[in-house]
Amino acid sequence: MDASLAEQQRILSSDWGGGKSPFGTSWSKFMMWIFIISDALTFAALLVTYGFMRMTAAAWPKQTEVFNMVLITFMTFALISSSAVMAMAVGAARAGQPKKAFQYLVLTIIGGTIFLGCQAFEWSHFIHEGATLTHNPWGVPQFAASFFVITGFHGFHVLSGVTILVIVALRAAMGKYSADGVENAGLYWHFVDVVWVFVFAFFYLL
Amino acid sequence: MADHGHEVSGEIHYRQYAVTWGWLLVMTLLALGLGYAPIPEGLKALLLVGITLAKIFLIASIFMHLKFEKMNLVMMTFSPLVLALILFFITFGESGGSSTHILMTH
Repeated sequence: MDASLAEQQRILSSDWGGGKSPFGTSWSKFMMWIFIISDALTFAALLVTYGFMRMTAAAWPKQTEVFNMVLITFMTFALISSSAVMAMAVGAARAGQPKKAFQYLVLTIIGGTIFLGCQAFEWSHFIHEGATLTHNPWGVPQFAASFFVITGFHGFHVLSGVTILVIVALRAAMGKYSADGVENAGLYWHFVDVVWVFVFAFFYLL
Repeated sequence: MADHGHEVSGEIHYRQYAVTWGWLLVMTLLALGLGYAPIPEGLKALLLVGITLAKIFLIASIFMHLKFEKMNLVMMTFSPLVLALILFFITFGESGGSSTHILMTH
């Protein structure tokens, strides 16, 4: 009997053996991770398709000449900074400091909103230059198509993230928040940052 | 007592988050410099992939707290990266044939 209890304990505490909580997280955090992984697969498909289109295209415009790289770098700065502040918001929420968590959440929302504003500016500039999903004034149409689909899909994620963060911040201000809720929103926000790191490197710089 | 302990660990994390933020900005500027660097495109691609993976590692391990999670969860988060690589190399053969892409010329 003792041996079977010891065996059960070994399974529960091991990394790979299963048990009641094989991943050692709350269900909500685990579900957020499942969502992030499935969403990452979507972005992976988009980026691989972009790579395929680029390699089969006759020529690809030089991005550093087409894009305003100062603006793109500033957008990256805004998103990375908001991610760092979001981590601090989670730290404050975990430490039982709702006021501090709220302040950091507001800073995160500001960072996300700045990013979205810059992206709206960039899109309107591109559209004004004559770029559409099927036409690209700088060469192959795949370039503009990749730009609108990848940055659009990412931008939609940022917009969703800002909306979620506003809800979490309002709940924190009302004292209704939970540290788990802030952490889950934070995981999503960091994921949006991770995707942008890939987009920044592979779409804008490579 | 427990609350005090949390606060202390929270403060330690703030410092770590700030340092991570600094490194991420440094690597972003490095990547930007590479975008303009007059070096072979193959080398540029390799360095950009390296910097990107380093940034992802920092964000995932410190901001997303993966370094505190169990190994099976950590391994699970790698699956999209592995599947993306498989997808890339499946399509690579077909796209490479007619390519004039910079990666293929170096």
